This record gives sequence, C-alpha cells and structure tokens, in this order.
Amino acid sequence: MTVPTLDEATNLDKTAIAEFLVLEARYADEHDYPAWESLWDDTALYWVPRDPSKAIDQQMSYIADNRARIHSRIAQLSTGARYAQEPQSKLRRQLSNFEYNGVSEGLIEVAANFSVFEYRDELTIWAGRYEYGLVLRDGNLRIQRKVVNLINAAGPIPTLAFLI
Amino acid sequence: MTPTTVTIQDGTPPPDVRGALDFSVLVEPTRVHGSLYTRPDIFNLEMERLFQTGWVFLGHESELPDPGDFITRRIGGQPIIVARGRDGAISAMYNRCSHRGNLVCRADSGNERYLHCPYHGWTFGSDGSLMGVPQKTGYGERSKELTADLGLAQIGELDSYGGFLFGQLTSSDTSLTDHLGGATESIDRLLELSPNGQVDLNLGWVKHRIRANWKTIVENQVDGYHARYVHQSVYSAIAPARVDYGAGELQLSVRDLGGGHSDIDYRDEYRRLDREFGWFGQIERGKVPAYAAALEQTHGADKAHDVLLIGPPHTVIFPSLFIAELNLMMFEPVGPEETIVHTTPICLSGAPEMNERIRRRAEGAMGPSGFLIADDADMGERTQLGLAAGEPEWIELSRGIDTDEIVDGQLINHDESAETSQRAFWRHYSTMMLGASR
Repeated sequence: MTVPTLDEATNLDKTAIAEFLVLEARYADEHDYPAWESLWDDTALYWVPRDPSKAIDQQMSYIADNRARIHSRIAQLSTGARYAQEPQSKLRRQLSNFEYNGVSEGLIEVAANFSVFEYRDELTIWAGRYEYGLVLRDGNLRIQRKVVNLINAAGPIPTLAFLI
Repeated sequence: MTPTTVTIQDGTPPPDVRGALDFSVLVEPTRVHGSLYTRPDIFNLEMERLFQTGWVFLGHESELPDPGDFITRRIGGQPIIVARGRDGAISAMYNRCSHRGNLVCRADSGNERYLHCPYHGWTFGSDGSLMGVPQKTGYGERSKELTADLGLAQIGELDSYGGFLFGQLTSSDTSLTDHLGGATESIDRLLELSPNGQVDLNLGWVKHRIRANWKTIVENQVDGYHARYVHQSVYSAIAPARVDYGAGELQLSVRDLGGGHSDIDYRDEYRRLDREFGWFGQIERGKVPAYAAALEQTHGADKAHDVLLIGPPHTVIFPSLFIAELNLMMFEPVGPEETIVHTTPICLSGAPEMNERIRRRAEGAMGPSGFLIADDADMGERTQLGLAAGEPEWIELSRGIDTDEIVDGQLINHDESAETSQRAFWRHYSTMMLGASR
C-alpha cells in the first residue's frame, strides 16, 4: 500500500483527488451502481448521521453501511424492485469548497460542500458537507470513508433511497 | 361530444357517501370509504376525536433519565413538553407560554434547570409551575395570584405502562390499562427480553416525512400480505424472509387485540422451528453469551429459552404506535396527505452485546434509507396518489373474513395475509369517531 505523504496529497494530487470525487458523484447521479461500488476500499464506512455531533454508536443513523452493507445496498438497488428507487430519481449534484486536510491515520482527508438536486415527481434539494477518507491502492484512489453531513440531518427528511 | 346518459336498471342508486360525515356509513365491516384518507375535514375530526381525546403515546421514561430532562412532541398537532422534575416526577404540559403564547421549548430534547420563554423572560419549573416573571411589579397587587395561576397548562392525563408514557390531552373515564387492553401483553413480552425488565430509548428518533395519510401507514405495519411483494428485493438480494412464505401452512396468527390494537403473532412458528433468535438474524447464543447468561439468571433456563425462541412483539397500539419488534415507531399525522414517522431502536437495559446489534439492524432496515421502510414509504405515497381517483370509491378489506375465528375470546386468523388487523383498526376507529360525536 502506498499512502502519499502530506506533501504529495496536498501539492501533487489535489487535481486527481477532485477528479476522483467528481467521478464518484457522477456514478451516483447516474445510478451506475457497479462503477460506484468499485470505488470503495475493502474496508469502508458510508455514513449519513442523524446527529453529526454524536459518535456513530450513540445514535441511530440514516445510513451506517460497512463494506458488506454497501454491497447489500447496491444489490437491492440493482434488483429493479427497490421501489423507493423505481423509477429512479433524476439526480445532479455539485461539489465545491474543497478542503484538503492532509493525511491522518493513513487516510487522505478531503471535505467539500455539496448540493444534490433530486427529481422524482417533484424537485427535492439536499445539501450539506461531504467528508472523505481516501486511500491509494496500486496507484488508484479508493474510498474508505464517506460521511454525509446533511444540513437537515435532524429531520424530518423525505425518503433517501438513492446514493447520496 | 354528446354526453352519455347512464340509467341504473335495477334498484335504487347507491347513496352518495362522498361528502358524508357519518362514520357508520364511511366505515363498513369489510370496506372503508376512500375519502377517509384524503378529506381535510375528516383529518381535523380525527385530531379532535382520536388524538386530542384518546390515549396517545408520548415517549418513554428512559428518554428522561435525569431531573431537568425534557422531550417535545406534537400530539394532534399540538406542541407538548414531557419533563422530569427535581423530585423525579414526570409531567406533561402544553408547550406554550402562559403569558402570550410563545413556544417555550424549541429543541426535540434537552436538559434545563428551568424552562425559559425567551420572549419576556418568564421561567417555569420542570413541572410547569411559574417560577419567575421579570419586572413583576408591573402586575401590582395581582402578581402573587398570577404566579399561582399561570403555570404551563397540564395535559388532561399522564400515565405509564412498563415505562411507556401515554397522555390524554382531555381527561376521560378510560384508564390507560383499559385503553391498552390486550396490548399490555405485547409490552410485557418486550420487557421480558431485557435481563432487568427495562428497555432504553436512548439513540434518538429518526424522522421520516411521508406524503401519505397516517392510517395507510398504520395499516401497513400489521399487513402480512405485502411483505413478499414490496420486500422481494430484500429477500432476493440481501436476506431470506424470516419465515418461508412459500412453505404453505405457517403457524402464524394475525390477531385483533381489541381497542383497535392488533399484531402478527409469530410465536407458534418460532416455537415449531425451535431456533433461538430466529427473529434476530438467527445468531447463535455464542455471539451474545453475557446476554444469554443474564437472561437465564432472570428467567431460569426454560423460560429464557422460550423468550429467545419467540422474540419481541409485532404490535400496533391504536392509534399511532407500533412496537416493530426491537424498534419503536410513532406516527405523527401532519395533514390528510402527510405524516412524520418517528423511529428509534429499542435497546435492552443491561444487554450491551445485544444493543450494538439492535442499532445496526435498525439502521439497515428502518427509516428513510432503510432496506425495508423506504419501500413501505414509497407504497404509502403511491397509495395516496392513487386515492386521488374517486373510483372505485371503497377500499377493500375483506381478505380472510371467512376464516377469522375466535380462539380464547380473541379474533384471530391463521393466514398471515388476512386483513383481520386492518378490520380491527377500523372497527375501533369507527367507534371512537362516532362515540365522541354523540
């Protein structure tokens, strides 16, 4: 495993990292489930907390998928009978305000603001902040952690069955 | 285009019930009128006759462990505070300053020595009593009287069963245990899963906004018919169904518990399969050894084995609470076509090994992103869209009517797809909606 040094992550790879995260966003927007899943590392956390101020084990989160559960989520979406995504939402999201926070405990730490425009019968806007922990595997970036801090995490929120 | 005239050949035309407000007409034994799910006037009457006069779930004592702890709720559209005082006693009062009507507590939950209205600085104790009025001399002679009279308004009745707090905004002759009736058995059974007989609701409520009538959502919780269709994606892609629906005869019962309460009772099937934790991912005891040992300590080996075979209840408590096995769901009606579903895992006091798994299972299945509930929510919203059509006028709930039977004084049906539970809901609904109007 080759983890970039702080200098590499901040100076050399900012463009590559941003491009990687924009690709991940597009796969999610376009419901390209196999491609999206392939971006995850073997150990992973895909987390949408209900209370970002609390630890993961001190709350019921909207999503707290480990790697196996990410696979289950993708498998269910892929059946075509995941009715909450049948028909699929039309999605486009924007990432901005990237912050490259160096390397911590082997993970490249990146954060960005986001907005997601979801159309399914009507337009729903989602917004918040993504926090990613990335790793390099054989020269390829992979996601080990993606935290989605919704501005309306306290809820109520509508059904959230697409990949956010 | 020429208008077409239809002549009814036989008998008198059916009565037009579309605009009727007579619940004996709108609710029949095996069908209910579609407008019950869409009409604003009916929704407003439900708030009055079911939520503002009947017993409604408010919260659980474990949400208020310490003096000064409070939670806020909306019952029948009205904001309510439930708080624990310094003496440990729990009070339920309207969340409205007794001065000029400001909302006193804005947070979902918290801990405050005093409840404080920011508008003019009035403060109240956790029991609602008025503690402080700034610039009191402005009330002259009346200030003492004012302090005594202007506490936060208490709701009519507050009572608890097994730590579950229920309130009535307006007092009535019906006690909480009368209201719960046969559903007390479900709460008792839930508590038996805890080594010390208590449950903890300390992981917070997920709130899911669904564009559907609250009754559609309640009906779905004890609907054994939809699971293999709506949730086929889970069974095919993630985990097989808890019971093999294809196997033919299952020893299940859909039960009318009286008072509008109903359940799906899996106990006989689980006992027949003789497999502990069949309701919990079929884990082995070895995964939760301290829990199993503590349960044996509490109940003895035989009873502990049975408790682990049969698991938690699957029970709707009228009008708006669902013990979803090890999750609790409460349904907050917002409008005729909007409901907020609140969900929290039910943790077992003194069983940390279980609680991590309970939380993980809740996050997988429940809430707006859950493998199960997101699809149930979508069905609810589709139902609401369909109900905008005025024809056919009626919702058909006759499934299993010919195989309903009375066993030990209880109306049950051994077909898991029978609509016995929906009929139970509507019979009590009709009684409540009619009774209060007399």
